[in-house]
Amino acid sequence: MSHEEHGHEYVPEIATARDGKQYEVQGWQGDFYGGKLGFWLFMLTEVMMFGAMFLTLTYYFSLHHDDFIEASSEFSVLLGGTNTVVLLISALTMGLGLLKMRAGDVKGAKLMIYATMILALVFLAIKGVEWTEDYHDGVFLGLPALQAGNPDSRPLGEILFFGMYFTMTGLHGFHIILGIGLMLWLLKRINAGKVTPEHHILHFNIALYWDLVHLIWVFVFPYFYMIGAGHGH
Amino acid sequence: MDINTYKAQKSGYYKILGGLLLLTAVTLIQPYMFLENATFGIQLMIGAVKAWLIVMYYMHLKGETLIGWTVGFALALVIFFFAVVMTDVHHFQFKDISYISEQHVSAGEHTQHHEE
Repeated sequence: MSHEEHGHEYVPEIATARDGKQYEVQGWQGDFYGGKLGFWLFMLTEVMMFGAMFLTLTYYFSLHHDDFIEASSEFSVLLGGTNTVVLLISALTMGLGLLKMRAGDVKGAKLMIYATMILALVFLAIKGVEWTEDYHDGVFLGLPALQAGNPDSRPLGEILFFGMYFTMTGLHGFHIILGIGLMLWLLKRINAGKVTPEHHILHFNIALYWDLVHLIWVFVFPYFYMIGAGHGH
Repeated sequence: MDINTYKAQKSGYYKILGGLLLLTAVTLIQPYMFLENATFGIQLMIGAVKAWLIVMYYMHLKGETLIGWTVGFALALVIFFFAVVMTDVHHFQFKDISYISEQHVSAGEHTQHHEE
């Protein structure tokens, strides 16, 4: 199956010089390895950012072990586990989409991108349900339970735990939203003929980004949901 | 990409999915079934294995020499950073007066402390 059958031919970017001559723009589309290496360097900055947060979390955990276990036991393993499986399957659909693109099945690739976007929205919806429940339980950023020095205050370790939870899952959720935006952009580029089986570095890098988002959740989930599992509640 | 390569790679994606689902199942049952006193360490170890599978197969790092070394070097730096900071804070000299190291401060005690 070739991409020509689907009417998706590569449309090069053309720039016109002052003397009127036209040249094909050689950007990241023409340098697959360079585009890939550059994106890996960007992803390493993300690892550093989340790494610093995990370091902070580990330090607080070492100081307030019991409070962390107690706070973690309040989370729903069912909702968190469902989100873990949703992200896992979305990583598969994203990977299969890239595989289909490379094999020339552009229509199949687009369907897989749509499937990934739907799964991303499911993830956000579940996360929204969790945050709403937390808010109604009085555990949310800015509420008295998470402010030190008042009669409703939680123990300090729990305040730190929930503070890190909302910060890290919030930042992760922001990355999910960015991922949906990137996938929309990718679909636009595919429809415009700018991403094709021969020029698919953008698709490759967005798939890498999505795997990174999944990778971060692989550690966020056990750190917040599982360390207190099996301890009451 | 020929049809055989496509089928082989697709099959590989599903095999990795199976492995990740299995590890996720272990993650979910471990705190209730075995090694309950070592949950934190076990969970992070399972996470590390899952991360390795994702990076090697879903992120196509297997066989990538230059990018592999770049990622390895960056991760080594992060681990070094972790080790240095954790060693440092283990000998934190202001632990007794630090706000973040206060243990179980009740609301009343906390308010009284500030009023004094």
